[in-house]
Amino acid sequence: MIIEFANTTPAWCPGCGDYSILDTLKTVFEKAHYDPHKFVLVSGIGQAAKLPHYMDINVFNGLHGRALPAATGIKIANHQLEVIITSGDGDMYGEGGNHLLHAIRRNIGVKAFVHNNQVYGLTKGQASPTSDPGFVTPIQNHGVKASPVNPLCLAIIEECTFVARSFSGDKEHLAAMMKAAIEHKHGFALLDILQPCVSFNHHNTFAWYKERVRKIPASHDPNDKMQALELAMQWGDEIPIGIFYKSKRKSFEEANEVLQKGPLVKHYLS
Amino acid sequence: MDLVIRIAGEAGQGVVSAGDMLVNAFAKLDLYVFTYRSYMSRIRGGLNWYDIRISDRPLSGMRGGSDILFALTDDALTVLYPVNSTAGVVFYNTSAALQTKPGLHNIDFAKESGHSRMINSYAVGIVFGLLGMSKNRLAAAIKREFTDKAEDIIQQNNEAAARGWERCKTCGASFKLEQRHGRTPDFLISGAGAIGLSAARSGVKFVASYPMTPATATFTYLAGAADKYNIVVEQAEDEIAAVNMICGAAYAGVPSLAATSGGGFALMCEGLSLAGMTENPIVILIAMRPGPATGLPTRTAQEDLRFALHAGHGEFPRAIYAPGNVEQCYQLTRTALETAHKYQTPVIILTDQYLQDSIQNIEPLEAAYDPIDRRVELKPKSDYKRYAYSVDGVSPRALPGGGALVVCDSDEHSEAGHLTEDFEFRVAQQNKRMRKLEGMKAEALPPTLYGAKKPEKLLVCWGSTYGICREAVDKLNSCNQKFAMLHFSQLWPLDASRLKKYFNADCEVFVLEGNFTGQFASMLKEQNIVQECKLITRYDGLPFQLEYIIEELEEYDN
Repeated sequence: MIIEFANTTPAWCPGCGDYSILDTLKTVFEKAHYDPHKFVLVSGIGQAAKLPHYMDINVFNGLHGRALPAATGIKIANHQLEVIITSGDGDMYGEGGNHLLHAIRRNIGVKAFVHNNQVYGLTKGQASPTSDPGFVTPIQNHGVKASPVNPLCLAIIEECTFVARSFSGDKEHLAAMMKAAIEHKHGFALLDILQPCVSFNHHNTFAWYKERVRKIPASHDPNDKMQALELAMQWGDEIPIGIFYKSKRKSFEEANEVLQKGPLVKHYLS
Repeated sequence: MDLVIRIAGEAGQGVVSAGDMLVNAFAKLDLYVFTYRSYMSRIRGGLNWYDIRISDRPLSGMRGGSDILFALTDDALTVLYPVNSTAGVVFYNTSAALQTKPGLHNIDFAKESGHSRMINSYAVGIVFGLLGMSKNRLAAAIKREFTDKAEDIIQQNNEAAARGWERCKTCGASFKLEQRHGRTPDFLISGAGAIGLSAARSGVKFVASYPMTPATATFTYLAGAADKYNIVVEQAEDEIAAVNMICGAAYAGVPSLAATSGGGFALMCEGLSLAGMTENPIVILIAMRPGPATGLPTRTAQEDLRFALHAGHGEFPRAIYAPGNVEQCYQLTRTALETAHKYQTPVIILTDQYLQDSIQNIEPLEAAYDPIDRRVELKPKSDYKRYAYSVDGVSPRALPGGGALVVCDSDEHSEAGHLTEDFEFRVAQQNKRMRKLEGMKAEALPPTLYGAKKPEKLLVCWGSTYGICREAVDKLNSCNQKFAMLHFSQLWPLDASRLKKYFNADCEVFVLEGNFTGQFASMLKEQNIVQECKLITRYDGLPFQLEYIIEELEEYDN
């Protein structure tokens, strides 16, 4: 099926990494012939969170930080739907940080694509939970003092069943990671997507990421937790991208006794 | 006959198990039972009590004082003896030298029952003895209670109970048990359970909550019913997650509920607003307790009505129900679900600790699965739009995974659901949402009027005070007064045009509610339904009792 794009013009800045993420996601859908009726794109609030509006697909654009619990409710209500979150680092690692901890524990079969540009765009340039120390903003005007969240380490430690990172500047790699996350059948998937913010982050620019990202070598065993952690702790001159870790657990849907009898939404006649 | 038995002691001393045994036993004896539990926010120690009121007539609430008091600790005696207003009999377990008074009996419960774990059976034995019930009946009650226990445990408890039965003969007191001729329902359920049962049979398939007293009882009931009714019951990481989860599940087509108390609901406010904007049907139970902040976590109050009414940023339609008793908990939970689905908007059920934890024997409630009509569009048109304009404000609701794509947004949106900052769309969508209130208003449940035909005084109340206000009206009218009760089980929306008729200038109005400020009274004034009224409030954390209401009314006469 060919996706007909929503007649809505993206509200992003020219050159924003969100465009590549949107294009790549559309390409993945087209190439894999995914039926948009069987997918729900869920987001919170932020520039990244507007993405679902630019595709012809089921959309739940909820509250800031709350994409995860809304997506969890949708997946539990009808686990035959593929539920994908596209939201930003502020939404998923800041305001919604607690939900991330528990979504991974729950291993709900939701795929989280986190547009991580290390800055708050929609609110105009404040630090995000992943901003590098020293990053100067109108609020953190002496530079960021807090240590950044490492979402990949956090996910690996919590036995997340799919932990990956990609870069919006490498569409081919990003498409492969998106497809692998969507095809992942045993629970929660976290895909952290590095993405430049052309308006508010003049430190982590396209060129900055481009010269640092390194594809994880094929020799890496994604079931090796310690090796995955070691890779996930790398940041700076070299930033690994690819699949870091895959824990073997049953998904929420596979483990829940009631859902084993079929989707909840199928229990009604009217 | 109208008898109150109170068992008081520390948490962990068997207060609840002794109370439960008596409740089960009386319900089997064709008597009406009504219970109330007062407990502290702790696992061990403290002072908890369990009141069991029994009668040969149907009961609708609790009265003050007790006829038989078991005080298992010093605190229990010190605190509860003075309020033991009726000339009853007291069994106390204390070393403190207490001036011997008639009706006071010092018992070393652990020693006389044989073991501290068997105080409950021993106390049950005393009650059976006092009520003149045979040892055989006592043995049958014990056996029923310990049915899944080993033979030696049953035997030991039997012996403890028999010792209690014998012991009461030396206390010189007895009560006449007036038994009914005819069957009394032996279906025992609490308000919390009645809400859970109704939700389960009405098709709630997803429950997300964070444990919080006194709402946890409903959450626990639903977890217990989950396998039978195919419900996913999820303990969320916080109340914010809970409300967003049920919004998601509602969007996907599953009737969903969250149970919380005031503090948890405070965290749900943004999610409530989300349900209003995205037009998703959700039901939230707020089991009230005294605030502000953590307040008195295990006590009762009616302090969150205004909060429920105004919670959530922005303006959107909502309905608020406040069941008056266990039966209404059952009926109104279904009504709440139906209203939420008919109008695609959030609905709140207000109960409180008193109603959540009160157990009554009532006619059996229908438990067979009979889901509500979700009113979804199963065959949407090709040009389907989630927020299409309509006369009554309700747009056809299709589900994701069906024939149409469903776009739902927390931003202001177009008919198609896509975010927009267009001012005309904004006004049109806000008008559409708010139009639903007209239909909801027309369907609002009328209040219940009870008492004198041409009352001189009207006692207005809402929620869990239904039973006790009825009793107060009966009592006052039996003393040649002309009282009527006007009980509201739906508190929003209020239709002034239909409500004004209950109030007239020559009838004095009293509004009774469990808060400081008179929240409902001020709503009635605001809506121009009532001009003048006097308040009867209680906010110490305890439920209204008959004596309290009558005293407060007398205060106004003085």
